[in-house]
Amino acid sequence: MSATTIASPGYARRAAFRRLVGQEALLAVAIIGLAIVVGLINPRFLATRNLSDLLLGNAYIAIAAIGMSMVIISGNIDISVGALIGVLATISGSLAVAGAPIVIAWVVPILVGVAVMAAQGAIVAYLRIPSIVVTLGMLSILKGGLISVTGGKWITDLPQDFHLADLSLFGVPMPVIIMVLATVLAALWMRNSPSGRAIYATGGNPEAARLCGVNPQRTVLMVFALHGLFAGIASLVYATQLRVIQSTTPQGLELTIITAAVVGGVSILGGVGTVVGSTLAAILIAEITSALVFINVSPYWTDALRGALILATVIADILRRQRRAAQGWKR
Amino acid sequence: MSLGVETRAFRVSPWLKRHETLLALILLIALVGLGAFNDRFLTIDNLLDQGRFISEIGLIALPMTFIIITGGIDLSVGAIVGLCAIMLGYSWKNFGFPLPLAIAFALAVGALAGFVNGLVITRVKVPPLIMTIATLALYRGLAEGISQARSVRGYPEWFYFLGQGSVFGVPTQLLVLIVLIVIAGIALDRTTFGRTLYAIGANETAARFSALPVDRVKLIVYTLSGLASGLAAWVLVSRVTTTRMDMGAGYELDVIAAVVLGGASIFGGSGTIWGTVIGLVMIQLLKNGLALTGVKGDATIVVIGVALILSVLIASSLERRRD
Amino acid sequence: MSAALKTDPAPVRAVPLLEVREIEKTFPGVRALSGVSFDVRAGEVHALLGENGAGKSTLIKIVSGVYEPDAGSMLVDGTTVQFSAPDDARRAGVATIYQELLLFPELSVAENIFLGHAPQAGAGRIDWRAMRAKAQHLLDSLEIDDLVPDQIVGALTVGNRQRVEILRALSHDARILIMDEPTAALTESDVTRLFDVVRRLKRRGVGIVYISHRLDEIFAIADRVTVLRDGAYVGSRDVGDTNAAELVQMMVGRRIDNLFPKTTAPIGAPVLEARDLVRRPLTKGVSLTVRAGEIVGLAGLVGSGRSELAQTLFGMTPAESGEIRLNGEVVRIDSPGAARARGLAYVPEDRAAQGLVRRMSVLHNFSLAALGALSHAGFIDRASERRMAQEGVKRFSVKTSSVDEIAGRLSGGNQQKIVLGKWLANNPKLLILDEPTRGIDVGAKAEIHRLMSQLAGEGVAILMISSELPEVLGMSDRVLVMREGRLVGEFDRAQATSEAVGAAMMGETSSAGRAA
Repeated sequence: MSATTIASPGYARRAAFRRLVGQEALLAVAIIGLAIVVGLINPRFLATRNLSDLLLGNAYIAIAAIGMSMVIISGNIDISVGALIGVLATISGSLAVAGAPIVIAWVVPILVGVAVMAAQGAIVAYLRIPSIVVTLGMLSILKGGLISVTGGKWITDLPQDFHLADLSLFGVPMPVIIMVLATVLAALWMRNSPSGRAIYATGGNPEAARLCGVNPQRTVLMVFALHGLFAGIASLVYATQLRVIQSTTPQGLELTIITAAVVGGVSILGGVGTVVGSTLAAILIAEITSALVFINVSPYWTDALRGALILATVIADILRRQRRAAQGWKR
Repeated sequence: MSLGVETRAFRVSPWLKRHETLLALILLIALVGLGAFNDRFLTIDNLLDQGRFISEIGLIALPMTFIIITGGIDLSVGAIVGLCAIMLGYSWKNFGFPLPLAIAFALAVGALAGFVNGLVITRVKVPPLIMTIATLALYRGLAEGISQARSVRGYPEWFYFLGQGSVFGVPTQLLVLIVLIVIAGIALDRTTFGRTLYAIGANETAARFSALPVDRVKLIVYTLSGLASGLAAWVLVSRVTTTRMDMGAGYELDVIAAVVLGGASIFGGSGTIWGTVIGLVMIQLLKNGLALTGVKGDATIVVIGVALILSVLIASSLERRRD
Repeated sequence: MSAALKTDPAPVRAVPLLEVREIEKTFPGVRALSGVSFDVRAGEVHALLGENGAGKSTLIKIVSGVYEPDAGSMLVDGTTVQFSAPDDARRAGVATIYQELLLFPELSVAENIFLGHAPQAGAGRIDWRAMRAKAQHLLDSLEIDDLVPDQIVGALTVGNRQRVEILRALSHDARILIMDEPTAALTESDVTRLFDVVRRLKRRGVGIVYISHRLDEIFAIADRVTVLRDGAYVGSRDVGDTNAAELVQMMVGRRIDNLFPKTTAPIGAPVLEARDLVRRPLTKGVSLTVRAGEIVGLAGLVGSGRSELAQTLFGMTPAESGEIRLNGEVVRIDSPGAARARGLAYVPEDRAAQGLVRRMSVLHNFSLAALGALSHAGFIDRASERRMAQEGVKRFSVKTSSVDEIAGRLSGGNQQKIVLGKWLANNPKLLILDEPTRGIDVGAKAEIHRLMSQLAGEGVAILMISSELPEVLGMSDRVLVMREGRLVGEFDRAQATSEAVGAAMMGETSSAGRAA
């Protein structure tokens, strides 16, 4: 460590700024840049209808990615969320069709989501079972459970007032409002509350967190419960924009959500990231998917592209950490 | 100064023996119980038939045992099965490869896919869990993109021998699996390769300081995992006669459940092939037994999920009590 | 922080801020502390001096509530206290800056300072403005003008990160600050600035326990110094009344000579010749020679680069430049496997983490480094493996119920014998021993020393790293001294006195040694 690397205040502020805003700014530029490029190739891409469909149809992914970001920041992973959203959507739709009050059909899935995730969080935090094992098991329980209970029957004839996602406020569709609101609230909470900061501490350095009076176990439990909350909200947005609920688990949804969280700047080794980034990343991924159609690339390449995106982000993140470690963080 | 170091030593082999005995016992009870419920269950025909269904998962479970013993994991196996199945069908149909060459090509693609996992895990030091989640997405996506979700069928008759034929009444793929089980079991138990796997899982640093080729061995096991997934794809395509890009979806669950149920610690350092085989048989008999007693197919994966979580819970609580 | 602006020296009070009396602490198989007493007064820097394993770390862990003592008492402001968790110590005003800084690289300076006790603005919200202001106030109180509260800690230098930890301690109103080798990773200018901070804290009446190996630092900053050796209290001195020679003497002591049954062996041709080995950051151009039958002691303080040099020779961290010759032939060693193939063996420093696979049996540990020799076409010859382990157990008198016992259950000395034994199975030409007798009992120590003499007699070249000066002096034919990544002294057996070697280790110019 030579004297030249000693941070001057100006340098330090810039560095801090870069770290905090870097990934978000990059994503915003990518979203706009891609829109311009694809728009030049095919102007129909920029049609209001297409852009709003794009946001509407993917808001639930961004909402679920908020909770996923928290889980990853705390040093864990969850691969059951896709199946959970499928189950919750089915519960919601079934309640609505069965004639339950609409509010019940809206609220029950959220509560169930919190309960399921909190249960997983408790097993991870207090029984010290790796989150991958717990959520892999839960994935199959939810997936198998759903199909064997419903027999894969589609839910149709949903009551008209069930469709929360069709509402809009001042011309802004409800899914977008919920997405923005959830992102902003979660970002503020994570940034400004002691328990929000505790997530970063737990993921970054659990031992040190304990010495600072943070309870890593309670933090992990809380993170999973919140993840359940966001998964519940996501399922609500998802279910209420469908005319027909297929009562199956959406294929590969968990991967899309994890990709959004990781590409949004959440370090896969825990401890860094913001939910603003994950929401922007969810939008970017949706935009890429849609853009493929407009530039005449088969949509079947979407998943490969998503896989390449997550792989590149992860490798870049690890290399960045190693570079920093070489510069003396770990000595 | 490392004076107060925890003494987390525990007897590995007696515990494993206990665990395996316990498993075998449960297996026996389950067999008898299911047999009592349904007279079709304990017939030779049914059991051999189950052997057919076990093979694809079983082939992948062997290298997965190696990987979990090193403390790693491979979630991309199901995706590699899909990719290899597509490569087999696609190269035969679209590149005009002769079928044997297409098979070899698919196996090579599987090995390459596993090799890429191993390479990034050992060189870039990406944690295995993360790396294989990423390649799970990538490999499945490639299968989808290359095939454009079109399936391939109409293979020549001889191709079905592996997946549907039998030798002296035993399903062909079951024979292949048995041979490979014996080889894997011997490799794990008797060779320097096997010993190195345990050493890596129990203390990777000490393994390096003992001049063991840690990175090379890791690279080998992930490559083997890809290769075995390719083999499983071949068996699967031959059994079901078509190639589809969603083949092998969810295999990682069954494979990992079999290995963990068989007593391998998810934290690395312990596990045996024999345990994995028992875990594998248990899962399949559970599935089959439940199906015969009228439980619908999809409910069985619920049981596997519960079994996975419970077996890790029980194993880790036993481990903690011993400490 | 009302005391922040106080600049006149605090009056020395009669009652010490912190006092420990007759502390005892035993870990399984190791007596870490026996009857240690120690106190620190307000406005004083009290240095704690001792070699590795002397018990300094255990003592500070007791004072900071990580360990509970087996016997003895602890007083804060004259009142008996009992710490059962780090939190208890913190509430009593004790803060510890460990060598491993416990910071969160992704969080800002202010957040790191106030993590766990951030100022709140009601409704569980963090009051960022107050937090920044308080952090700035702390920075100002120590006149630190090149850090700002919003900086991300991960981007800071080690020295600046350390100051963030000090600020964190102050934010808890710590009155007793324990610093565990705070300068180990600092540059010269960072050390100067650290001392500046320490002096300011002193003036504020903070009592500081300062742990260091570096005598010059102790003379520069401390008021009193207490020396520990082998877990026991040796003595305390006012810094003004003592000198380096006396302190070194107290630290290394004099022990019975026959504990080190060094027999002279005929010294043969060079086995290892290294020229200008460089491996950043801690091997900066090292040249050395070890001959057959010769035991070369490598002395140096922790952080001087001894183990790093050993690991470079052994191929764990291959050299970036320089040349290694073995038996006169230039070789390239880029992995431990290559090193082993060339007849090198390395018994690493940290037995639990690097040497032994604790969960494996004695049998499997013994064969781990010799699997190649024990196998045919990859198959382990299990009969020879068992035979080898049983012979090893007998030869090194490892006390174990059977070779199938789990290695982690044996005592430290027996574990060390296994680590040594597994390498000797390869019949190495060059044996590198890194702290071969750390933390093991006297009997096992003597046995390992006897074995070293015997191996040297058989013509093995031995490079021994040790923090115990009597061991280095007793066992070596030649002593090399390393400091800050370079060899700074070389002594023949006759020249190697504890004063001369100790002085070279501490970085004082010595008349007895000649520059290497």
